[in-house]
Amino acid sequence: MLLTELAEKIGGTIVVDNPSANITAAYTSDLLSDVMGHCGEESALITIQNHLNAIAVATLVGNEAIVLCHSRPVPDDMKAAATREGIALVTTPLSQFAASVALQELNPSQK
Amino acid sequence: MRFDLHIHTCLSPCAELAMGPQEIVARARAAGMDGIAITDHQSAKNAPAVMECARRVGLRCLAGLEVQTAEEVHTLALFDTAEAALALTEHVYAALPKRKNDPDTFGDQPVVTADEDVVEMEGRLLAAGCRLTIPEVARLVYDLGGLYLAAHIDRPAFSVISGLGAVPEGVFDALELSRTAQAAEWERHTAGYALTRASDAHHPGDVSRVWTEAEGEFSVAGLRDIFARRATRLSERITCF
Repeated sequence: MLLTELAEKIGGTIVVDNPSANITAAYTSDLLSDVMGHCGEESALITIQNHLNAIAVATLVGNEAIVLCHSRPVPDDMKAAATREGIALVTTPLSQFAASVALQELNPSQK
Repeated sequence: MRFDLHIHTCLSPCAELAMGPQEIVARARAAGMDGIAITDHQSAKNAPAVMECARRVGLRCLAGLEVQTAEEVHTLALFDTAEAALALTEHVYAALPKRKNDPDTFGDQPVVTADEDVVEMEGRLLAAGCRLTIPEVARLVYDLGGLYLAAHIDRPAFSVISGLGAVPEGVFDALELSRTAQAAEWERHTAGYALTRASDAHHPGDVSRVWTEAEGEFSVAGLRDIFARRATRLSERITCF
């Protein structure tokens, strides 16, 4: 899935773009240690963790994009790190549950 | 006396490499501290070096670590001796994820001597949470004779309030406010605990810019007594960086 398509499905705003993102899965979690343990590559991370460490973890697990729910603001340092690491950032007014439902085709177990 | 109970060294991946023992001790003294505590993420391996430096100039220094618990809450464990802090470090290390630190992503983690020679590069992932829960860490800390504080309870991530929604009663010795928090706003969230303020310095210029003041002895027993009496006074917050 392209980033523009993902953003459209969740009524999202692309804060940091990544036109080459190829998103094939998604994982929803607010516990970064859980993300590290279970989130796969080429995925979008759906979370409320709007801080720098989320980018570090996303880099580690190979995320293509982070979806920040409840329209959480993106701090400048997070934006800069995402740009540097080539990780797209999308904010959405949806909750984690609603965003996950809207992106259900990215559920790895349904493939 | 004035003290700053939350200072990182270069061992913390997110701290500047300039945070060597001598720099920290010099900065803390210049800021008028009577005592400090060294609290790197998930490790006390640089505490002995800073304690040695502090001893040379007559500054009191506790050995500690900032434990990131299974709940992803940052908590401070503080001890009179490096041995006790290193014993807790072993428990935390055993509960860390198997993944190794990637210095390009998280930062370098050098263990240094008092003279700032590098002994080793810590390879464990200190930027991650461990599998120990807050009650489990509290039990270990108290068994080792230490103090247990909740760090920066005002922060929107990695704090006991952001993680658990409220401060649990009967677990901590005191709570810490970050340098920007307005004390009056947080007093109703304290659940009866004493408040402290500390610099949480990751850069030399931040060491002991804020602090806590109290009458008593700078040691685990002395601070426990101060916290039990809730006899702390906090420095003003800093609103600009």
